[in-house]
Amino acid sequence: MKEKKTSSKSSSSTSPCSHLRDAYNNCFNRWYSEKFMKGHWDKQECVAEWQKYRACLSQHLDDKLLSHFLEAEQIDQNHLSKPSNE
Amino acid sequence: MVTGYKQEYVYKHPWERVTSASWRKFADAENKRILSHILEVDMLNHSLDSSNGILRTTRAITVHCPGPWFVRKIVGQDMCHCVESTVVDARSRSMQLISKNISLQKFIEVQEMTRYDPHPDNPAGWTLCRQETSIRIKPFSALASMAEKVEQRCAERFLQNSGKSKEVMERICKYLEAESSGFSL
Repeated sequence: MKEKKTSSKSSSSTSPCSHLRDAYNNCFNRWYSEKFMKGHWDKQECVAEWQKYRACLSQHLDDKLLSHFLEAEQIDQNHLSKPSNE
Repeated sequence: MVTGYKQEYVYKHPWERVTSASWRKFADAENKRILSHILEVDMLNHSLDSSNGILRTTRAITVHCPGPWFVRKIVGQDMCHCVESTVVDARSRSMQLISKNISLQKFIEVQEMTRYDPHPDNPAGWTLCRQETSIRIKPFSALASMAEKVEQRCAERFLQNSGKSKEVMERICKYLEAESSGFSL
């Protein structure tokens, strides 16, 4: 039932990575709730899951789109880092 | 021409649970059905500042945004790529997100800023969500002559979707609450 919508997606769809994405998301969500939110932020986990997922993404995500994404990211991360002491 | 609006919403759940829900929002199958305008969400980057407890992430979000026929005719596509940057400060308990479109930028710029903070009246138990959205049709684009109308439609759709988003968030919060009180699956 999860994959019903695939037909309406574009060619740049990253759905070939969906299994690796799910594995990473599950790991990340567990880490976030059970470790990060409880003050254990000394270590990033899910490294193996991330590496597999990322390798798949870099294969399936259109290069031009990816560079667009990363440019936009730079701007926003700089913007976000300022107003933290509200 | 810019159309903007602000929204506030109170979740009667602690900040830790609400921000956990925010990460899970696009994940499970049931939510995908409700948030059917979201086609793909992918993590592009993440970094953890382990000395300060600050998590930064960047995600790519592909949104289905059909729009009225006259817009579709000009724009020529009904999908839009967005980038979402997030900073979570676990020590001071704040989460900030900025999302904006990176495709169709010659026609339109949409930016949505969201913050999740502990509610001042009940910092341990409730969470205040504040959201600011701005929609701007580029002045010299093919859509400029109907900018007002397009922005209006766009804003309506955004409000509609943010309603769905709250519904999903509430549901995940309830689920996480049940899980934390012993019904772990």
